[in-house]
Amino acid sequence: MIVVQTELPISIGHAKSKRMINNTEVQELNGWLKAVANSRCKIAFTHLFKFFAPKIQRIARSKFTNEAQAHEAVQETMSNVWRKAHLFDADKGAATTWVYTVMRNVIFDLLRKMKSNREDNLSDDIWPIAESTVSDDDIYEDHLENKKLLHGIESLPEAQQQVVKGFYLMEMSQEQLATHLNLPLGTIKSRLRLALSKLKVQLGEDHD
Amino acid sequence: MIKHHPTFELIQSFVNGDLPASLSIGIKLHAEMCSQCQKQIAQLTEQVADNAFESENSFAVNDNDIFDFESIISDITESDDIDDVSVEINKTINFKNKAYPLPKALNNVSVGKTANIGKLSRARLQLDEEEIHTNLLHFNPGGGVPEHTHKGFELTVLLDGSFTDHKGEYTKGDFIMLDGTFTHQPISEKGCLCYTVANDALHFTQGINKLLNPIGNFIY
Repeated sequence: MIVVQTELPISIGHAKSKRMINNTEVQELNGWLKAVANSRCKIAFTHLFKFFAPKIQRIARSKFTNEAQAHEAVQETMSNVWRKAHLFDADKGAATTWVYTVMRNVIFDLLRKMKSNREDNLSDDIWPIAESTVSDDDIYEDHLENKKLLHGIESLPEAQQQVVKGFYLMEMSQEQLATHLNLPLGTIKSRLRLALSKLKVQLGEDHD
Repeated sequence: MIKHHPTFELIQSFVNGDLPASLSIGIKLHAEMCSQCQKQIAQLTEQVADNAFESENSFAVNDNDIFDFESIISDITESDDIDDVSVEINKTINFKNKAYPLPKALNNVSVGKTANIGKLSRARLQLDEEEIHTNLLHFNPGGGVPEHTHKGFELTVLLDGSFTDHKGEYTKGDFIMLDGTFTHQPISEKGCLCYTVANDALHFTQGINKLLNPIGNFIY
């Protein structure tokens, strides 16, 4: 019988002292990411995009066979950076490490979608991009589904609540909502999609 | 105490995102119980990220050829919506009337119905990875698997309880990767719950136990 494992090396070397990216650069990247999180700063995001996108493109090209998929990986990663920047915590690591995690997760889910034809997006459960500090167990002790659902809707950001309530409770069409709220149809759709994925997570497997 | 850990090569592939979901989840489950490996993963991720985003690597890329920066950026930033952290959910899974907390890494994996044979229960995790099959395997006290071998690999991550084979005792958190060249006969005196990944059916090797080869398929 052969056990196929070796003991872990005690340390993988002086990771900190051999940084490829110098400290000033890391500070700058951290600052931009924080500016995106705190003030939705498009200039800071443009800096991040110009720094990361070409590198992500190069990495994605080595993982995907066609250019369109590599391109999708870049767009999806940068779009996640924009939407999830508030989950970045500079005390827990550098912006490069965080963006790497976001990118690796996007690529992992895209590859899995191609190979296994599953859209289960498991990556964020395997490599969380934020330490989960939110624990709202108490809320979910109520087993009345409707109450749970309404509660879930109430806990969505205001902009998503409007769309969910309009669409499901007032039964307006997406087009009507777009006109009513004076927003592009695409925004309505993306808010609805985001809201539903959140509700689905909150309600757990019963609603799969 | 945890005695069995993933190899450095496995941890490296894990950090690179190159392992199938089944093995990635196996390493994540172990790391949640093993601070040593967790630290190792964090350090390696930092290193790999630095390498990936090293500045001088961008020299060959003529940005404007690939990207219409302006329009992609304005598409992305058009909406100010943010993605919240999903509210933490705590699921459980039942085996023989005992509820076990489901590890968070499995929150979005669909779990098949539980099947039982004697003291063994199996719930298939539907990851759809062709010949790689992933299960939660539960041993009732005194449960065991007759001596068997594998043609492929077999990973076991012990989530709860303990079991023994002729090499010794395995406890909660152990990450046990075996290849096709061994035979063993695990028995769990007090019962246990394992996360298992195998890429081929078990094959029973001992006399009358050969009649049990259907169990090999059951566990795989």
